[in-house]
Amino acid sequence: MWSTRTRNWFLAPTVLTLLVIGIFPLLFALNISLRQYQITNPGLGFGWNNFANYVTVLSDSYFWGSLGRTFFFLALTLPVQFILGLLIALILHRQEWPFLRAVARVALVIPLATTPAVVGLIGRLMFDSDFGLANWIVTLFGAGKISFLGDPNLALFSLAVMDTWQWTPFFALVLLASLTAVPQDAVEAATLETTRRWDLFRYVEWPYLLPGLTAVLILRTADTMKLFDLIFVMTRGGPGTATELISVYTQRIGFRVFDQGVAAAMAILSLIVTIILARWYIRIFYREAE
Amino acid sequence: MRLWRFLATLGLTAWFAGVATAQQWSLAEAAKPYAGTTIKAIFLDRPGYKAAAKLIPEFEKITGIKVTNEVIPYENTREKIVLDMTAQGGDYDVVLVDVVWIGEFASNGWLVPMEKFYNDPKLADPALNLKGFFPILLDSFGTWDKKIYGLPFDNYAGLLFYNKCMLEKAGFKRPPATWDELLKVYAPKLTDPKQGIYAFALQSRRGETQSADSFMRMLWPFGGSLIDPKTFEPNLLSPGSQKGLQFRQDLMKYMPPGIVDYDHNEAVNALAQGKVAMITEWSAFNGTLTDPKSSKIVNCLGVSTEPAGPAGIKGALGGFSYGVNAYSPPERQAAAWLFIQWITSEAKAKDYIRAGGVSARMSAYKDPAIQKAYPFTVPMVKAWEQGNPIFRPRFPEWPAISEIIAQIGTEMMLGKVSVKDGAAQINAKVKEILSKAGYYDGKKPKLQ
Repeated sequence: MWSTRTRNWFLAPTVLTLLVIGIFPLLFALNISLRQYQITNPGLGFGWNNFANYVTVLSDSYFWGSLGRTFFFLALTLPVQFILGLLIALILHRQEWPFLRAVARVALVIPLATTPAVVGLIGRLMFDSDFGLANWIVTLFGAGKISFLGDPNLALFSLAVMDTWQWTPFFALVLLASLTAVPQDAVEAATLETTRRWDLFRYVEWPYLLPGLTAVLILRTADTMKLFDLIFVMTRGGPGTATELISVYTQRIGFRVFDQGVAAAMAILSLIVTIILARWYIRIFYREAE
Repeated sequence: MRLWRFLATLGLTAWFAGVATAQQWSLAEAAKPYAGTTIKAIFLDRPGYKAAAKLIPEFEKITGIKVTNEVIPYENTREKIVLDMTAQGGDYDVVLVDVVWIGEFASNGWLVPMEKFYNDPKLADPALNLKGFFPILLDSFGTWDKKIYGLPFDNYAGLLFYNKCMLEKAGFKRPPATWDELLKVYAPKLTDPKQGIYAFALQSRRGETQSADSFMRMLWPFGGSLIDPKTFEPNLLSPGSQKGLQFRQDLMKYMPPGIVDYDHNEAVNALAQGKVAMITEWSAFNGTLTDPKSSKIVNCLGVSTEPAGPAGIKGALGGFSYGVNAYSPPERQAAAWLFIQWITSEAKAKDYIRAGGVSARMSAYKDPAIQKAYPFTVPMVKAWEQGNPIFRPRFPEWPAISEIIAQIGTEMMLGKVSVKDGAAQINAKVKEILSKAGYYDGKKPKLQ
């Protein structure tokens, strides 16, 4: 209908935008990750420094510590969010209670639409050691007051709770959409074969969930790798380094110490980790779907 | 005789000339070339800035210069300024300079040396009187390598705020004079964990709060220091430093659990709600504690200098000066100077205090009316008169060191690392940062 040239013109704005806001910053980061780049200390110059930034990062025990903590946080949040999200999706997928379903769908969007910084503020209030909701629940069970955000173990757990509150609906909505894509005749045929709900789920619905699930896992992993605002507001990475995930550490080096070369090297390494994890999810889950 | 007469005439003429120029100089006249200019100042969400906002309309009316502001959370302020400066954007004309940033900003040439303005008769108010500032504040917040880059604007001293009623109930008629007394005599009697009542709260949240308000505060009174002032060698393993850090651990028994998550607000609120008997906090929080809206202890509030250690009081010192951005266009620079000169002037000092600010002008605090209306200024002035100008090193490397202390300092409080091991770890990192900067091989003069 249109010539290739016309079509290219229509595509150009998108490609251009992508270049400006995606590709250029990436190349810029790659560039400065290979340079001495301490902007508060211009006297040192901005020359190439033979991968010194990468050597610094890879031999930095705090970097590995924060990366390990990030993985731990992923392992803590993703399964819970997936299972809760799946349960919600399955409940909402039933044909009964149309009104409740409509309300629930709207309610699910609210946490997603909340700014992470605000979620962090809510978290600070909920886990406050004096008048927080969490402590009220604890005292209901007769236990003494607990300082959730002041205890290194509980602080990360508290963050995981807030993250789960915010992102479980995302799992639920995507899985729900996938469930509606299951062809009705396949379900009907299957119900003739078996009366067990589990079989129906495992052999008919599950394969349809996998593409969506893979996408959500990739997005959530990338989100967690760059999870910053929630943590900064709730604990600022403390107490000690208990909640210092990789993004918080990168920000600390980049905008507190202002060694942007080293921070850029960390960001590039985080990107590589994210890509590896994404490939891994695709291999495990997507393969199964095919 | 003739010579005498000649000299006298000469002197008299000079004196008249001086009076004449003094009469000639007026803010309105000086600002004429800059009327209509708009300058932007950096504000924090603190009482001193709200006070300035109340006074600014008067300045705008006299000069025709418009002063806008941008309120930035303290934790992000340096980041914003550094990014603006490295981009040479000149976004902020009136630059807020924390005592610990002056070295970085001045040595990078981001601020205009103030001599450019105060030596310019067109711009300098003859009543400027730089000697009228508390010397420690002008030296510490505004001066780097013997040059003035900023005039002290928002000024703090660490003070002991305490709940008189709680102390009296426990049988104490006066606040503790020494840290030792606080720990051994006062703390056990004022702590009742079952009721959730604690003797003391030391704000220790990770960040500048941990490094400055918690960690550094406990070093100096016990004879310790972060680095040796002469050799710049890390000094945390010295007996004095170790004693101070160990003292902090011992005192934690009498602090609320989760103290490592307490920021200024949490500590001040704990005192204001009657849950804690004593805190050492910045003088600026006096407003929160005397306001019935935010404090239950308005009638019980007592203020004194921080307790002394074996090495004396050596309380916390902090505050901000206002400097002029070197990348702003010249007319905005001049307008910014006129504003800074005016807001920190002796003439405006009492207005500024009454509006809720804390002036750096000595003369204002000699007024008995001010002393009576603002009792906290009395111990504050005392603290400044015997203050410690290098409470925190002001060199450009401090932010990196502060990050290290913030992290290992909290881990130390949590018992994840021993006082000795933690101090050794910080020492090693400090040595690394300072040698990279070139202090040990003579590449950089040892200024702090």
